[in-house]
Amino acid sequence: MTFARASLYGFVVLALVSWGYILAATDGGAADLVSPKTWSNAGNFSRQLIGVDSPTRPAYLEVDRWLVTGRLALDTLAMSVLAIVLTGVAVLPTFLSGARNVSNGDLGGAPSRLGTLFYHGVRLAFTLTRAVPELVWAMVIVFFLSPGILPGAVALAVHNYGVVGRLSAEVVENLDPGPAKALRSAGASNLQMLIYSIFPQALPHFLTYLLYRWEVIIRTTVVVGFVSAGGLGREFRLSLSYFHYTDLALLIMWYLILVIAVDLLSAWLRRLVTGKG
Amino acid sequence: MGGRELKLLESRRLLTLLLAGVFLWSLSTVDWRGPIIHTGGLAAFLDFLASLFPPELSPGFLGLALSASWQTLAYAVAGITLAVLIGFPLGVIASGSVSGSIRTGLGLAVAVRLILAAMRSIHELVWAVLFVAAFGLSSLTVILALALPYSGILGRIYGELFNQVPEGPLRALRASGASPFRVLLYGRLPMALPDMLGYTFYRLECAIRSAAIMSFVGIRGLGYEIQLSLHDLLFDQVWTLLLFMVGMVVLVDMWSSRVRRSLVS
Repeated sequence: MTFARASLYGFVVLALVSWGYILAATDGGAADLVSPKTWSNAGNFSRQLIGVDSPTRPAYLEVDRWLVTGRLALDTLAMSVLAIVLTGVAVLPTFLSGARNVSNGDLGGAPSRLGTLFYHGVRLAFTLTRAVPELVWAMVIVFFLSPGILPGAVALAVHNYGVVGRLSAEVVENLDPGPAKALRSAGASNLQMLIYSIFPQALPHFLTYLLYRWEVIIRTTVVVGFVSAGGLGREFRLSLSYFHYTDLALLIMWYLILVIAVDLLSAWLRRLVTGKG
Repeated sequence: MGGRELKLLESRRLLTLLLAGVFLWSLSTVDWRGPIIHTGGLAAFLDFLASLFPPELSPGFLGLALSASWQTLAYAVAGITLAVLIGFPLGVIASGSVSGSIRTGLGLAVAVRLILAAMRSIHELVWAVLFVAAFGLSSLTVILALALPYSGILGRIYGELFNQVPEGPLRALRASGASPFRVLLYGRLPMALPDMLGYTFYRLECAIRSAAIMSFVGIRGLGYEIQLSLHDLLFDQVWTLLLFMVGMVVLVDMWSSRVRRSLVS
């Protein structure tokens, strides 16, 4: 408990220093936030989003605007699916070597120098990809890939490779070693042991993590789309800079529809994966 | 039982087919006719990789990277503290354990859970873009945008943790005539606190990433410097900044996992 308590106090000090720094170094904007001018601006912005004073009909009441932006929403959904599949494809062959008990032979295999090398390499890759946010990966990747759905999906996949990979490796480290050892004592080779005991035990966890991450990914597709120019994100930025605020409102509605749909779908799929329900 | 299992197996097979179909559809939305890698993209990629050996290591730039890391950390910490302040009371209400009357407690809990879900459903940078359009750019606007989705997730988790507390001690408190507020203060809170602390520390690591990308609306920090260096095609500087990002995340991750381990024992 002592380390946790010290950390708590340490965090409080850090919080005070951080707030002090931000409020001192950058004027903070507290005066702006309480000024009536700011609030009347914010009021105007909301009125423009709803389109109450606009001479034309707001975009979200036009069927053809819904259809046009619906295509973008579909693109965004495709980006998220592509991202999650790319993540899965990349994690699947690597997460076993990222688990300490596989590489050091705790599960019955012999420790090998190659296994240790793989372990450190994979762990390093997990840390490096996970630590950098999706948007930063996207900013880098647009230098290489043509704008559209693909660079966004790749950026999302790179970050989530680290997230899902690490979680999956940790699952393997916490697995019950019994079945693997039983197979080993029945004369199974290393590969057979991995395929018939570790892998099936870890698979449901792996799929559950992927589905959880899908919920995070669908929220982030729009953000990544800001720079990778795919789906709703690009249009979101354009509508904002051209002051097409009712279009912006329509895009936010699509965004929310996607988020809710994916949350429900992921919950349903997770129940199927774990066999409950 | 056998029939049920068979049905599950069948639905899984159907599901596999469905998912494969969805994947193929997602591939079909990518425009494969044009060049996937744009002209000079491959050269740029190799250049990017080569720039890691070595990254920009001049003392001046390291100082800049260090101060940018501190700015990002400060925003992350500020965002998380605000999120704890907002998320904690909402979590209490969401757990449905504040009111003596079950009906009002439950009604409030459902309402607050919906609010928490709404806060979570929008990404922090989308909140930030909207807030900056509405209120103008300032540190507080951005911190508020950062704190909103984090309050949503912290509130939900806190609420769940309050509810997972063992009933025995709570019943004892109630039997001795404690009000619902006192049951919360002396029963639920102390028992849930270790897990709450562990989870909040875990979220701090995520907040660092979120604070870094607030550069997109013009907040200084690691993301901002990365954007500048990318703009000037100075990939060796980009690598230095990325490594600072990695270092900071690793340090916070080590701190938070040590906190969680010390709470378990």
